[in-house]
Amino acid sequence: MSDATTQQEKFPFGIASVSIGEIERRVPPGEAPPLPPNNRLAFIGKSVPRFDARAKVTGASRFTVDVKLPGMLHGRLLRSPHPNARIVSIDTSAAERHPGVRAVHVVTDIVGRAVEQVPETDPPQPNGVRLPRALYAGAPIAAVAAVTPDAAAAALALIKVEYEVLPFVVDLEEARDPNAPVVFRSAVAGSGFAGGVAAGAEVAQQGNVRGPSRIGTRGDVTKGFAEAEVTVEGEYRTQVQTHCCMETHAAVADWHADGLTVYLSTQFTAGVRNELAAAFGLPRNRVRVLVDAMGGGFGSKSGAGTYVRAAIALSRAAGAPVRVVHDRHEEQVDSGNRPATFQRLKIGAHRDGRLSAISLYTYGTAGTATGAGVGNFAQATYECSNFDSEQYDVFINAGPACAMRGPGNTPGAFALEQAVDELAEKLNLDPLALRDRIDASPVRREERRIGAERIGWSRRHTPGADTGTIRRGIGVAQSLWGANVQTNASCEVRLMRDGSVELRSSVQDIGTGIRTVLAQVVAEELGLTPQAITLRIGDTDFPAGPPSYGSRTTASITPPARNAAYKIKQKLLEVAAPKLGVAAGALDLRDGRVFVRAEPARGLSFREAAALLRTDAISAFASRSDDYGGFRRAMGDAALAQNDLGGVQFAQVAVDTETGIIRVERVVAVQDCGRPINPEQIESQVQGGVLMGLSYALYEDRILDRPTGHVLNADLEHYKIAGPRETPEIDVVVLENYQGESATDAYGIAEPANIATAPAIANAVYNAIGVRLRQLPMTPAAVLAALGRAPYGG
Amino acid sequence: MLATSLAASAAVAEENAPLSIGPGAVAISLRVNGVVRTAEVPPHTTLAEALRGSLNLTGTKIGCDRGACSACTVWLDDIPVASCMVLAIDIGDRAVTTIEGLSRGDTLHPVQTAFIAHDAVQCGFCTPGMVMSCAALIARNPNPSLDDVKTAISGHLCRCGTYPHVFAATLAAAKAAKS
Amino acid sequence: MRPFEWIEAASSAEVTAAGATTVADAMVMTNGHRKVSDPTVVKAGGIDLLDLMKEELLQPRRIVNLRGIAGLDKIAGQEGGRLRLGALATVAQLAVDPLVRPYAALADAARNAASPQIRNVATLGGNLLQRPRCWYFRSVHHHCVRKGGETCFAFGGENQYHAIFDHRGCAIVHPSTLATALVAFDARIELTDAAEAKRETALEEFFVLPTRDPHRENDLRAGEIVSAVLLPKLAAGARSAHLKQAEKESFDWPIADVAVVLEADAQGLCRRASVVLGAAAPVPHRARSAGGGAARQAAQ
Repeated sequence: MSDATTQQEKFPFGIASVSIGEIERRVPPGEAPPLPPNNRLAFIGKSVPRFDARAKVTGASRFTVDVKLPGMLHGRLLRSPHPNARIVSIDTSAAERHPGVRAVHVVTDIVGRAVEQVPETDPPQPNGVRLPRALYAGAPIAAVAAVTPDAAAAALALIKVEYEVLPFVVDLEEARDPNAPVVFRSAVAGSGFAGGVAAGAEVAQQGNVRGPSRIGTRGDVTKGFAEAEVTVEGEYRTQVQTHCCMETHAAVADWHADGLTVYLSTQFTAGVRNELAAAFGLPRNRVRVLVDAMGGGFGSKSGAGTYVRAAIALSRAAGAPVRVVHDRHEEQVDSGNRPATFQRLKIGAHRDGRLSAISLYTYGTAGTATGAGVGNFAQATYECSNFDSEQYDVFINAGPACAMRGPGNTPGAFALEQAVDELAEKLNLDPLALRDRIDASPVRREERRIGAERIGWSRRHTPGADTGTIRRGIGVAQSLWGANVQTNASCEVRLMRDGSVELRSSVQDIGTGIRTVLAQVVAEELGLTPQAITLRIGDTDFPAGPPSYGSRTTASITPPARNAAYKIKQKLLEVAAPKLGVAAGALDLRDGRVFVRAEPARGLSFREAAALLRTDAISAFASRSDDYGGFRRAMGDAALAQNDLGGVQFAQVAVDTETGIIRVERVVAVQDCGRPINPEQIESQVQGGVLMGLSYALYEDRILDRPTGHVLNADLEHYKIAGPRETPEIDVVVLENYQGESATDAYGIAEPANIATAPAIANAVYNAIGVRLRQLPMTPAAVLAALGRAPYGG
Repeated sequence: MLATSLAASAAVAEENAPLSIGPGAVAISLRVNGVVRTAEVPPHTTLAEALRGSLNLTGTKIGCDRGACSACTVWLDDIPVASCMVLAIDIGDRAVTTIEGLSRGDTLHPVQTAFIAHDAVQCGFCTPGMVMSCAALIARNPNPSLDDVKTAISGHLCRCGTYPHVFAATLAAAKAAKS
Repeated sequence: MRPFEWIEAASSAEVTAAGATTVADAMVMTNGHRKVSDPTVVKAGGIDLLDLMKEELLQPRRIVNLRGIAGLDKIAGQEGGRLRLGALATVAQLAVDPLVRPYAALADAARNAASPQIRNVATLGGNLLQRPRCWYFRSVHHHCVRKGGETCFAFGGENQYHAIFDHRGCAIVHPSTLATALVAFDARIELTDAAEAKRETALEEFFVLPTRDPHRENDLRAGEIVSAVLLPKLAAGARSAHLKQAEKESFDWPIADVAVVLEADAQGLCRRASVVLGAAAPVPHRARSAGGGAARQAAQ
């Protein structure tokens, strides 16, 4: 940012519940002026009802699974019945002849899982094609498109595949054995993001073990531990969690003369457009990706998986649109998951609580993907100058993992936050007091203060002090997540001569409410009501918006939305100025009027002003400018803001010492996301984060059968998810935290709301029964084993 | 109700065996949202598939297709059922009410209004089923407790975790429906 | 789900005429040969049947629908004080019917079974005849002993939801919590065949352990339908309860369930205690020593 073109502006700064001051920032030209705190705004900071709620409660919303195109065919995938097999031959002729079948496609490209860098050495098919090995039960082999789903299913059964069945391994511990069957025969490229931090590209690989990566290593831990007066060390295990989107992965592909249109249940229309253009050799302007209503992604719908490419290939071959929708079994087996982890964590501290060293050793499995790490939680949450991490990926014959809500940091927090709890006890310090000493963040400090008051922390008893069959306890844990920004994020605001306004961007609303939020931001700037703004989003024919992952949508797209609206405002005021006989700078917009600031009664209605436009419409384009304070780190299309996001959560549990059942009675979640734009929608997301965390803590576990290699609970019956009766009272507090970093100063919330819940529950369980559970999920069997009341643990 | 005019298939195995129909498409009539509609579907078509397919009522969602998530909830004679676990051919003369039939014209059902007011919606995929169960509850029990609401939706899964707002919305809707 | 033919039956005679076999027989395949080819099976509420067909574990040629048989859903008192529960009564009906209410353990079990949506469709007969939830049994990839294979995969596999009693040969647990309660009440089951002839047997004896036959959970014969369950007259002062313990309270299968029926004499002393455990064995498991112990205590 050059000083010649930037200008100095004063922004509100600080936490509203503490005190709001001011900070001076240099801002680039063209930015909307500093926005005052929410209490001085009309729509930003208000719980404007969700725009698409009416369509959703009436069933009118169109999800991808609801898309019907004329002549649309139904596609289905054939999947491997073996956890590891080479495809010796494949004969699709009978399937092709089956009545109603319009196309058959054999999967040749590998998408989603890791790929061996040296070309796979399997002999080619008779036709010269090399087919990838099926590396897990459920791996896609081929696909069929037919006029009915039944015909497609019947045709799948007619595809003859000769498999050479190979030895396999699906157990994390067994796979580490140098003599275990090898999943990949040569080194794979690393870029998997399931652990929250991209897996290293140049990392050693031996057998099924790839690593170590030494993310965040700094200082001298040997010296740090030598200086430590108190140390704690523990081993923690977390399970595989699956995303369980209620709308399964779904695509309708339409290959036509002009190019390709794909209706897709996706978290990133623009990214998928680029991916598909490259994969199918089309210019980007010939590929259109659309999503209207979207039934949940949680990280698993970020790219174009095999099913999407199969749908496109079938559509191209059949000359008709093709719909491919995962069934629930496919969804649970082959649409991503959160890796399982083992973590050995050691912390050294001085008597006063200051940390002298943290050492983290982990291995985990992302199945047939890379990136089973535990994020940056241990390295970044507390002050400690000596940190060492050694993290390994272990491959098993299972569906590839991918990012899932708070990837890496969610399992990472389960270990670190219990270790800190343990350290506090050893130091004879209150867990909150210890955190006050080792956590420099003023935001977390305020969150601890508010949460402690709400949960009634002062009545927390010493661990294990409760007696009786049902024992209660309270625990706390923190969350940390990077304030991500997509710098490649654009939108357009249009004003028509009749006064109608619309915002256009390819950004998608996956249930987080960005439609409503964008309307609030534009309405605020133009002095209209949010309902007066039309949102045209979820379509790559509009300017490329950000992805809806990494809790970055709001931070990325609301500043350009406001800046584009600001440009429209300036143009409108210029048009209105001559009519009102003042300079444009003397005018403002509010309550649907253009008015003279010094003489508010004098003005025009917004519509009257718009009617003065020389052309039928005016348009303003804006993309995400850099944060005013600059970024901590910029990486391609994305960047990391100077501040972090996070929260502090408190859980109150009741543990039945006879049945081992843990019941979470209450959760207090105090979170921050910069400037909150729609408090009720934020509350919804925080409740969702807490529930997904609670469910992770107590119930969810993908179960792979070691002898046969199949997922045994690829359903919503034995894959157990917290339901209405598991829902505790959830008290949500969201700070207003002004940083003066962008035109809206708003950040995301989805992931930070998920990270602290499991460790808060674990610490509460420890407080209740005096025994620490270091393995997820905390099942009744695990509780009874911990209490010495059952011979074996879960 | 089975349309009596349909041609029975000739698959009569034994003497005196009752007539069988299918396995190909057969004509059935369904009374849906107060209107009798006909569809040509094979006997193995579930009600959820018939509604979403032939009848183009896509408001009813299929989440698991095994009765484990209740996203597909509709009413059969005002009783909530998982439409993925009943066959369309088996509905007979029972009245089917789907999410599309809950509001009266532009006037939303109190549960729908309350869902909007309480932001009991995130991605919205489980919402139609959830609304149907909550609306059935307050029709049956005008004074539901929080526990009653939890029971009514105990078979529903919402991965976004909207339950707290669904509880609040349903309790508010019951109050609103009385006043 | 594979296509099938559909028959609306008006009587049990029509069921037999259609050549119906049991679902259990229809699922057995030994050495690549189906025990019954092109089977015809009967359907009541259809919940379990649809589940099996959607998983392609069961591929009947024909389905005979019982739902149209008049009167099969009636719940009515009989002479002698017995209560007759028609096989097509829904689980939801059992939960609220005033005649069932005195049999509190049964009403409890019905109220806590599955989800409201399922309870509104699932029938008493279907609930008793539903196949086990064992994940190996429910997987097309595992040809287990119950489906005619050689192996019970639960041994040496993932068996956290499997039997702790009587699991020789196959470790399923019986999935019906209604059965747990009904056996505790010494209920009898009524079966009707082609000639509309009825046979009645103690429900407890209707269920079959894997050591007797690993391919089926009960003694239903081809051509028979379950027409009713009969509850004996409750002894004066009898009390009962059913408890289901699952990992979740929302829609989940029990990890254990128990029904207890206590009969007290005029002094309030427990004369007889009937204790039955569910989700513990391949059939409802009568806890004889617990029952005996309880009978020596005062009924509270």
